[in-house]
Amino acid sequence: MAGLVLQNLIKQYGTTRVVHGINLEIENEEFVVFVGPSGCGKSTTLRMIAGLEHISGGRIYIGDRVVNRVSPGKRDIAMVFQNYALYPHMSVGENLAFCLQQRGTPRAEIATKVAQAAETLDITSLLDRRPSQLSGGQRQRVAMGRAIVRNPEVFLFDEPLSNLDAKLRVQMRGEIKRLHRLIPTTTVYVTHDQTEAMTMADRVVVMNHGHIEQVGRPLELYEKPATTFVAGFIGSPPMNLLPGTLSGAGDDLGLTLENGTTVALRGKVRAGVEQARSANVVLGVRPEAVGIAAQGPQGVPVPVTLDEVEPLGIETLAYGSIGRTTLCARLAPDVALQAGAPADLFIDTDRAMLFDAETTRALT
Amino acid sequence: MSETAEAGPSPEEPPVVTREPHQWLGAALITPSLLFIGLLFLLPMGMTVWMSFHNWPLLGEPRFIGLENFSELMGDRRFWSSIRFTALYTVLVTSAIFLVAFPLALLVDRPLRIAGFFRTIYFMPVVIGFGAAATLWTWLLNPDNGVFAELLLRSGLVDAAPRPTESFWPALIVVILMVVWKQAGFTMVILLTGLQSVPDDVTEAAKIDGAGPLARFVRVTLPLMRNSIILALVLNVTWSMLAFDQFFIITQGGPRNSTVTAVFSIYLQSFSSYRLGYGSAMSLVLLVILVAISAMQMAIVNFRKAPE
Ligand SMILES: Nc1ncnc2c1ncn2[C@@H]1O[C@H](COP(=O)(O)OP(=O)(O)OP(=O)(O)O)[C@@H](O)[C@H]1O
Ligand SMILES: [Mg+2]
Repeated sequence: MAGLVLQNLIKQYGTTRVVHGINLEIENEEFVVFVGPSGCGKSTTLRMIAGLEHISGGRIYIGDRVVNRVSPGKRDIAMVFQNYALYPHMSVGENLAFCLQQRGTPRAEIATKVAQAAETLDITSLLDRRPSQLSGGQRQRVAMGRAIVRNPEVFLFDEPLSNLDAKLRVQMRGEIKRLHRLIPTTTVYVTHDQTEAMTMADRVVVMNHGHIEQVGRPLELYEKPATTFVAGFIGSPPMNLLPGTLSGAGDDLGLTLENGTTVALRGKVRAGVEQARSANVVLGVRPEAVGIAAQGPQGVPVPVTLDEVEPLGIETLAYGSIGRTTLCARLAPDVALQAGAPADLFIDTDRAMLFDAETTRALT
Repeated sequence: MSETAEAGPSPEEPPVVTREPHQWLGAALITPSLLFIGLLFLLPMGMTVWMSFHNWPLLGEPRFIGLENFSELMGDRRFWSSIRFTALYTVLVTSAIFLVAFPLALLVDRPLRIAGFFRTIYFMPVVIGFGAAATLWTWLLNPDNGVFAELLLRSGLVDAAPRPTESFWPALIVVILMVVWKQAGFTMVILLTGLQSVPDDVTEAAKIDGAGPLARFVRVTLPLMRNSIILALVLNVTWSMLAFDQFFIITQGGPRNSTVTAVFSIYLQSFSSYRLGYGSAMSLVLLVILVAISAMQMAIVNFRKAPE
């Protein structure tokens, strides 16, 4: 039983630093998802944990063992790759058995374990096939079977679902979670898809440019993003980020937006305002905290021209422009709005938050 | 027929929706290849078959003698011993080339610029013609003023300049050394493409599965580069079975005709003894042997491929 600790972890290629001293403690049996845009260093971090990438600085602990100099095969980890990385010349059964053979497990035990893993993943009927004779979803399952068959301390996943179509992705997502409940094991899962992160994780690690932006439970990230980056990354559509200038004080406290409209700041949004280092701030407001007059308006009206109205059936998304920024409103499905027409969108500042424009950090 | 065609497809037949609009274009494009194959392979082969049924002196009238050439060939000890020698040479030189080319391929299979440099260096002798390379080596090996003799004498390793072409094994070994020097780079490149066709993540998966370097090589890398290995094997075996220049120039078949290869003996019969018909019959027998070897190699490939 082992958790995983990353201590000031650094990766450098020549003089370019791509991972800048990451600190993270992952509990035993915890499911942690690394999420971030392409090139932010998620895979690099995961590969350092796996031992496939040299560690330029810092320490990695699996349990209480420092594994910096331990070879991948001896770290007691299993990894599922984006392109499955099955052995093309071996049958599914041989693929599952390979790691056990390398550990010198007795034959009879290998057979039982392979049968058991195949049972768990419902691939028993595929054991004699070659990977080339399997569908994408089946290959993914075999790759997972190869990971669980030897009961490792840590599971590592690098974008395992990105080669599957949308429907299968949702299904496999559920499957991986089910597997984690069935065989609780410390898991690090890398993805650039925030929905995957939100739905699967016990805790989400949001990365950007080789730094950790924020670590937290999915709802924590949604409700209290620590930076504008997290605010703009988590949620679909993400939080609206409206740059503006603070004015007035006390009850007159307001925020002048790019188009000149001044929004009175009331309620919880004022909590961190005195921390602002200058008058330049960013107002963060979730699309569901933006409404229209017809819905019994909450908050302050902002006149916009509607660029886009997207009826999605369950809801309607309306997009308006304020200066150079877009304001998205999540509305009831039956609203009658016309793209191109002017409208008032109401911002509920009680459910909004402020960020320092310079440091991009939340003011709370 | 033309009536139905004009009336459109009948209801039972599925309609032909697309048809290659320029069939003549396809024909035109393969014509050069057909011409080449016809003129340079089929025609000479037909002539060889034709000549093999004749007593065909260089000057004078050819005379039809049926299968006489072949029956004489069956009892021709010199021909069969040249075939045996060629087989021995093939086994030795192919093994030697693989023993050298495989480590080289592993050495230059890294993403360093210096590796690219060595790749080029190792490949360079390949572009030299066999005749030129063999001539070069005869100079190098010359006991009186050759570079090798000079180096060995100066370094004090030997008292008298070695004369490798004067006995069988040294002569054979010297030729094998020359061929390895000249050909290993080519096999190295083929094996290198095989090595590089093994996906990185598969190798990494094997690392994580706990396979050490040797286990990874034997159980993952080798099976995945099988096609390259077989290609290299077939090419090397074929070329070695057809060896001629290197022995003609370096050993001249000696000592005492012990290094006469199959093609060499065909050459001797045809152009020293001027028995073109008999030489043709020998060529055909060699062709049959080569086809048999290739077919065997292909059969092994297909047999191994079947479970996929
Ligand atoms: N061998 C290398 N040499 C130099 N830079 C590299 C090397 N490998 C990766 N990088 C850089 O490291 C950074 C992080 O790469 P990484 O693969 O970890 O990104 P990622 O977060 O996994 O992105 P993606 O979502 O696209 O997979 C990238 O900016 C990349 O350009
Ligand atoms: Mg990646």
